[in-house]
Amino acid sequence: MKDRQPTGTGEHAAPDRSDDRWNDKYPYLGTAPIPIEPYISREYFTLERERIFRKVWLNVGRIERIPNPGDYIVVALPVCRTSVVVVRGKDGYLHAFHNMCSHRGNKIVWDHKGSCQNFTCKFHGWSYGLDGRLTFIPDEQGFCGLQKDKLGLTPVAVDTWAGFIFIHLDPHPTETLRAYLAEVVPGLEGYPFPELSATRFCWRTEIKANWKIAQDAFQEGYHLPVRHKATAAGAFTSGTNPHCHFLSLDLYERHRRTSSYGNLNYQPTPVAGRAYQFGSSVVVDRDITLDNLPAGVNPTRRSDWSIDTFWIFPNFSIFPSNGTYLTHQFWPITEERTIWETHTYFPKAENAGQKFSQEYSKVLLRDILMEDGTTLEHMQDVLASGAKTHMPLQHQEICVRHAYRVVEDYVGFYAGR
Amino acid sequence: MTESGWPAAFRTLQPFLGWALATEAERTQKRQTSEMADIQAFYNAMLSHLEDILVYLNQFPLEHMPPHARQLMDMTFSLAEIAPAVELFGQPREDDTFDPFRFVPQHQ
Repeated sequence: MKDRQPTGTGEHAAPDRSDDRWNDKYPYLGTAPIPIEPYISREYFTLERERIFRKVWLNVGRIERIPNPGDYIVVALPVCRTSVVVVRGKDGYLHAFHNMCSHRGNKIVWDHKGSCQNFTCKFHGWSYGLDGRLTFIPDEQGFCGLQKDKLGLTPVAVDTWAGFIFIHLDPHPTETLRAYLAEVVPGLEGYPFPELSATRFCWRTEIKANWKIAQDAFQEGYHLPVRHKATAAGAFTSGTNPHCHFLSLDLYERHRRTSSYGNLNYQPTPVAGRAYQFGSSVVVDRDITLDNLPAGVNPTRRSDWSIDTFWIFPNFSIFPSNGTYLTHQFWPITEERTIWETHTYFPKAENAGQKFSQEYSKVLLRDILMEDGTTLEHMQDVLASGAKTHMPLQHQEICVRHAYRVVEDYVGFYAGR
Repeated sequence: MTESGWPAAFRTLQPFLGWALATEAERTQKRQTSEMADIQAFYNAMLSHLEDILVYLNQFPLEHMPPHARQLMDMTFSLAEIAPAVELFGQPREDDTFDPFRFVPQHQ
C-alpha cells in the first residue's frame, strides 16, 4: 500500500542541498586537513592493534549462519594475530574461543564453517567440548603434572545484538555489547533484520590498501557522481542534488550514521525495471512506504530517500534500505593490506521472479563496489610517497574526518606530540 | 512444449543454453571471457521474453523446479550478470575497474 506519492513530479521537488555545512554542526572536529600518516604508518598500525582491535567489540557475522548446536564459524583476525571460533553450544548459547590447541598451538579448526560434536586437534588428537573444555588427551599418562581442567580453549567474549554476533578478545570486557552499541541502537531498533536476513550473499577480497582508506570510501557520497558515473550516479544524484549531499547525518562518540538521497526521476535500465517489477531492488524505490521502516531509518521521512548507513566502530557498517540491507567489514592485515567483506541480504525469495530481482540487485551492487576497489589500491600506491602530508576534506566528507578523530582518540599517536 | 519440457514460446532461446550456469562465479567467468557481440545477442534474445519467462517460472515452486525451468532461471541470472555490461558499460568489463576474479563470491 502506498502512503505517499512519488515526489519527483515537481509537486514536492527536492530542495537544493548545496548549502549543507556539516562541519558547522560539529565544530569540535575542526576543518583542517587530516594527516596521511595514520594510513601508511606501521607504528600507527601497531597502536591500532593494541588500543583498538584488542579492546573493542567486533562484528563477526550473523546468527543465521550457526542456527543449531555444534554449528560454528571461524573468523580470521590477522590484526590481532589470531583466529576465533564461534560455536553454538549444546546449551544453545554461543561460545567463542581462540582457534588454538592448548597443547602445541595448532589451529583446532581449519575450515571456515561447519558443524561438529566436539573439536579434535588434527596434530595429536586433543579433544574439546563445544564449551571449550578439554575432554580427551591421547596417551594422557605420558604427561607430567598436567592440570587438564585449566587447559580448555582460551575463551573470547561473545554476545549478539539484533542477530549480529560480536566478539571481544578480552574474555571479561568492562563494557557490555549493549552499552558499546547504545549510540546506534535507537536508530536501528525495529528494523526487520530477521526477515531480511533470510538470503545472504557475500564477496570477499584482499586489497592492497589500509583498512581506513578502504572504509572511508564508503563514508561519503562526494565521489559518487565521478567514480560511479556509469552505475549509481543516476539513482543517487539529480539536478537538485548533483553532488550526492546527505539528507541527514549524526556523529556520535564512536559511531555515526547518515541518510542518503534517492532520485525519484531516475529511469531504470530495461533489466533494472524488470528486476524492480518482480521483486526487491537496490534501485530507488518509487513505491516506498514510510510506515514499514522504523523511525530511525530514513529519519527525515522523505520519499526521495535511498539508503542509510550506520558505522559501528571500528570496522563494521550496516546500510539499511527498503527491503534489503548490506554490511561491510574491513579487516586489517598490515598497514597496507586489508580483507574486505561485503554482505548483502534479502528476504527469502518466494519465486523465480524474486530470485531474479535479487540476482540483479547483487550483481549491480558488486559492479559498483568494484569501481571503488581500484581507487583504494591506487591511493595506497602513492600515499607513502611523501609528496603530500595531509588531505583536505569538505563538509560532505565529515564522516571521514570523524572516523579519523575517533581512531586517533583511541590510538593517541599525536597526543603529546 | 518440446520433449524436454522447454516451452515452444522460448524455443528461440535454446541456442543460448550455454548461459544456463548455476553459480555466480561461472556466470562472471562467462561474461568476462565472452565477446561483446555474443553478450549483446544473448541480452537481446532474453530481454524480449523476460517478462514472459518470469511469469512462466513463477508457477513452479523453487524447491521443485523441473530441469528445463531451472535452466531458464539460470539464464535469467546470466542476464542479470551481463546487464551492466550492456546497459552501463558497453563492454564486458568497465575500464579501470577492480579485477572481477579477485572479488570472490562466498555464496553459490
